[in-house]
Amino acid sequence: MQKINRNVVLALLSLTSLVFLLFQLCYYKFYLSQKNGAAFSKVRGSQSGQDSTRWHVVRKFLGLISSHNIPVYLIDPLILGLVDKDIEQIRSSPDGPSPECKYFCAPRDFTTFALLDKTWKHEVGLFRTAEKMGFQWLKIINKDPRLDGMDDLSGMEIPLHYIFKLASHAIHLVVFYERSGHFLWHGPLRLKQHMDRKFVPFRKLHFGRYPGAYEKPELLLVSIDDLKVQIPKNPSSFLEEMSHSRFLECRYREARAFFQLYPDDASLDAVEFRKKAKSLLHLAALTLNNLGVKFWLSSGTCLGWYRQCNVIPHSKDVDLGIFIRDYKADIIPAFQKAGLPLKHKFGKVEDSLELSFQGEDDVKLDIFFFYEEDDHIWNGGTQAKSGKKFKYLFPKFTLCWTEFVELKVHVPCETLQYVEANYGPEWKVPVKTWDWKSSPSNVQDNGIWPIDEWDNVIQIY
Amino acid sequence: MGEWKPNPAVKPHKKRSWYLAWKYKLMNQRALRKLCQTGAVLFLLVTVIVNIKLILDTRRAAYEEEEEAAQDYDDEMLNVEVPRHPVNNKKVLDVEVYSSRSKVYVAVDGTTVLEDEAREQGRGIHVIILNQATGHVMAKRVFDTYSPHEDEAMVLFLNMVARGRILIFTIKDEGSFHLKETAKNVLKSLGSQVAPFLSWRDMWTFVGKKGGEVYGEKHAKSPALSTWGDPVLLKTEVHLTSVEDAECHWPDTELNRRRKRFCSKVEGYGSVCSCKDPTPIEFNPDPLKDNKVFDVPVAVIAGNRPNYLYRMLRSLLSAQGVNPQMITVFIDGYYEEPMDVVELFGLSGIQHTPISIKNARVSQHYKASLTATFNLFPDAKFAVVLEEDLDISVDFFSFLSQSIHLLEEDESLYCISAWNDQGYEHTAEDPSLLYRVETMPGLGWVLRKSLYKDELEPKWPTPEKLWDWDMWMRMPEQRKGRECIIPDISRSYHFGIVGLNMNGYFHEAYFKKHKFNTVPNVQLKNVESLRKDNYETEIHRLLGEAEVLDHGKNPCEDSFVPDTEGRVYVMFIRMEQEADFTTWTQLAKCLHIWDLDVRGNHKGLWRLFRKKNHFLVVGVPASPYSSKKPSSVTPIYMEPPAKEEGAVAVPAVAAAEQT
Repeated sequence: MQKINRNVVLALLSLTSLVFLLFQLCYYKFYLSQKNGAAFSKVRGSQSGQDSTRWHVVRKFLGLISSHNIPVYLIDPLILGLVDKDIEQIRSSPDGPSPECKYFCAPRDFTTFALLDKTWKHEVGLFRTAEKMGFQWLKIINKDPRLDGMDDLSGMEIPLHYIFKLASHAIHLVVFYERSGHFLWHGPLRLKQHMDRKFVPFRKLHFGRYPGAYEKPELLLVSIDDLKVQIPKNPSSFLEEMSHSRFLECRYREARAFFQLYPDDASLDAVEFRKKAKSLLHLAALTLNNLGVKFWLSSGTCLGWYRQCNVIPHSKDVDLGIFIRDYKADIIPAFQKAGLPLKHKFGKVEDSLELSFQGEDDVKLDIFFFYEEDDHIWNGGTQAKSGKKFKYLFPKFTLCWTEFVELKVHVPCETLQYVEANYGPEWKVPVKTWDWKSSPSNVQDNGIWPIDEWDNVIQIY
Repeated sequence: MGEWKPNPAVKPHKKRSWYLAWKYKLMNQRALRKLCQTGAVLFLLVTVIVNIKLILDTRRAAYEEEEEAAQDYDDEMLNVEVPRHPVNNKKVLDVEVYSSRSKVYVAVDGTTVLEDEAREQGRGIHVIILNQATGHVMAKRVFDTYSPHEDEAMVLFLNMVARGRILIFTIKDEGSFHLKETAKNVLKSLGSQVAPFLSWRDMWTFVGKKGGEVYGEKHAKSPALSTWGDPVLLKTEVHLTSVEDAECHWPDTELNRRRKRFCSKVEGYGSVCSCKDPTPIEFNPDPLKDNKVFDVPVAVIAGNRPNYLYRMLRSLLSAQGVNPQMITVFIDGYYEEPMDVVELFGLSGIQHTPISIKNARVSQHYKASLTATFNLFPDAKFAVVLEEDLDISVDFFSFLSQSIHLLEEDESLYCISAWNDQGYEHTAEDPSLLYRVETMPGLGWVLRKSLYKDELEPKWPTPEKLWDWDMWMRMPEQRKGRECIIPDISRSYHFGIVGLNMNGYFHEAYFKKHKFNTVPNVQLKNVESLRKDNYETEIHRLLGEAEVLDHGKNPCEDSFVPDTEGRVYVMFIRMEQEADFTTWTQLAKCLHIWDLDVRGNHKGLWRLFRKKNHFLVVGVPASPYSSKKPSSVTPIYMEPPAKEEGAVAVPAVAAAEQT
């Protein structure tokens, strides 16, 4: 009896387990397909049908926007990646018919286009036509960041993204705005409470997770897959730019709160210093950008941006950071050519390099070179009279774009950690006396330069 | 595993079914059975593991999605939109209207829509217009019919109100003294029984529909001249109509949708809301050929004077070469009606939380508006600055397009302004003529971005300084000797009568007779001569050909200038040093031009027209042009008037024309 029971129990258990497994499989499959949106389920069998659907949707969309004279350009990373491989051929035969649907039929959920805000009037007619053509559309609006820095202005919300959906494909139209630093900006995509979260699989979008900053692209009209479309003239550099495009808005609200606590210095001296610092920063940015050297706001200048969205009037210099791997020997002559003589040079390329240039009327431009280690990044300091070396340690960081004194510049994305490493947890309190050898909270003694190297590593002009 | 050993003592069954046979067989095949059992156990284990993994996967996927959707794409702020007016399906409104000597109020469905108990304010007839379908307040006005002409304004307003609207009237203090027959008849035609007999210090309330029924009227007679009538409180019900009945049936276009939205919210804009042939809200003026200011942003500085803004935007949008996309209206305060006007014209508007008070508030509003303008249009090198109480000339943009290159190239220029302070009907003549002046007229002007960003913005007066922004801009520290270009005939017209520094008397005296260009496409004359050095050559040429007037005559007399046309005349006045304007002020006074402070001068020289002749005034010896004075001529000196009169003029200087 016992033996039979054991067998039966075993069989029953196996059966239940099997049933449960089947149920789980079904549920998993169902869940996945639902998550991708019913319209986006990937049925392998209808692959070719899917391919041509994408092409048709893109064609319809291009027809729609050209009937309203709206100049859009293609920024879809997938398609631009494909286009880039054949760019020579596409450039040379702008009108040639293509034998097969190579680009617009490639499997994907979205096709992404860009629109420059100032090139169209927000006509409602577009959306009515779109609806007539069968598109469903979604508009994502938000605050205008160009007014964010202003005290108590409330403008109309501006459109940041549009999504046009037709059949199983969707067009993502990213709206680009021109900003004061003469660059293009697109906003983040944020869904409001009442919006349909399942309209499209939002997390597969290529744009909108963060705001982004771009240079104004040169465009090229090409014909691909028998569709005429504008693309960035150099797709590969656009794709490269895209991978580092994350933009940080200045923390205007916090800056306002800061000025409530510590009213801004509006004296004539402060006004003058800010003006000089701004023009020095513009000159430095122009020089380094021409050389193709990536730099970011460091030390006091970075603190000024992060804390008060402005130059700190009592800081007396402008501080930039550069990774030592981006160092170029041309930097010094380029600055001298721009009218900024070298004031001092400490350290050497292998260790603790630091350059200082003399700007107009005592405003100094300090360039610190940063050395990357496995778990931290550091830059060095040198005391001229004693030959002492210092080391300033920072946690690892990446670079983001921001807008500062009408300039598009880099700052560390992890700005808080960067500023805290440098200025300690009390960075919100303005300090007028600052000793670069002892005040920073991340300073370490780093020995002393050997006497015989002094001529090389301590140069003062 | 020992338990699973085959049992040799198994009892054979009587009925040996195939199952038992199979089982028996299995039992006899020990190894096979053992394998099966192990297999089953293994299978069980595997399914359990796979099951757990699947559960985990599904959960993780679900969690990830929620996480990502929530973190990356959700708006961090809960934008719960609360409808401003609760949806009201009620068909009947309870209206309460109160009239008394010191207080009036109107409540609609328990919500107070008007309450005025301020002392020495709000005297006269208060009028409220409600939408007959929604019950929303569409207009609120008070007409001080104790004072003259206010009844005419009321008649004008009531005539503009669309048929079917609900009108509510109530008197505070006194409303009959200057309520003339015409106005009384209009009130009678609205259904009021009492209006024709309203008299001194009567209290009166009335609710009625324009062109329809009367919902109620109450009246309390004043028993004697020295006392007021008893307070009256009228409680009545108003029946709402359907939305369709309250709207006009215009063709469904984009424009008419805007119109519909506007007309269902506000009243008092006349024909823009009439059902038959409404006045257009899109103007499509001729484009300008080679328009150099097409991409220049236009900032319209506005407060809460929506009727002014309406008039202003109409004229602006009708000017040739206007680019509506570049226009931004900056409203000082969160007022709804000005925003409605902006939306009616399809323009963009920005509201600004008021900072500080009086002049400083205006000044802070200017700063915020200018900064925002250059933020919104980062490529712009200039901005056109306008105010809500200006008419804009049809050739405003043409005028700027022809002159803007000077502002770009000539460092000695401070601005281009459309306004000539001294350009009155009797002193301006030539629409193609431009001047250089040392003063900053404002009232429709072009600002260079570099001037604003590098000089003005960083040291703009802070909120606690009660300065006029324009006075501040005129200070030598800011102007630094630079000049503005102005036309002889102004390209803007200041029509505002109510404002911070403005009243009817002041407007009548200094603004009403201002000349305003109405000729389209004026070709400006000799624009290059406005450059710094060229202008000196031009002035010397003019002075060279000018005839010296008879300095023995009284310059205030009309006969001082001969009855000619198209000649150039010069007179010399005494001006001891650069800041000595004694004689000039007296001359300006008798010529009936701007005399509250010095305007329109260039190195001690003023240029205007008298009797269609170009008329030059040179201050001797301060002006470098004094050398042109023949030695025989003695500069005219005019005494400042006696003290009392002077005392009147002084405070007025502070109240310059800015709103």
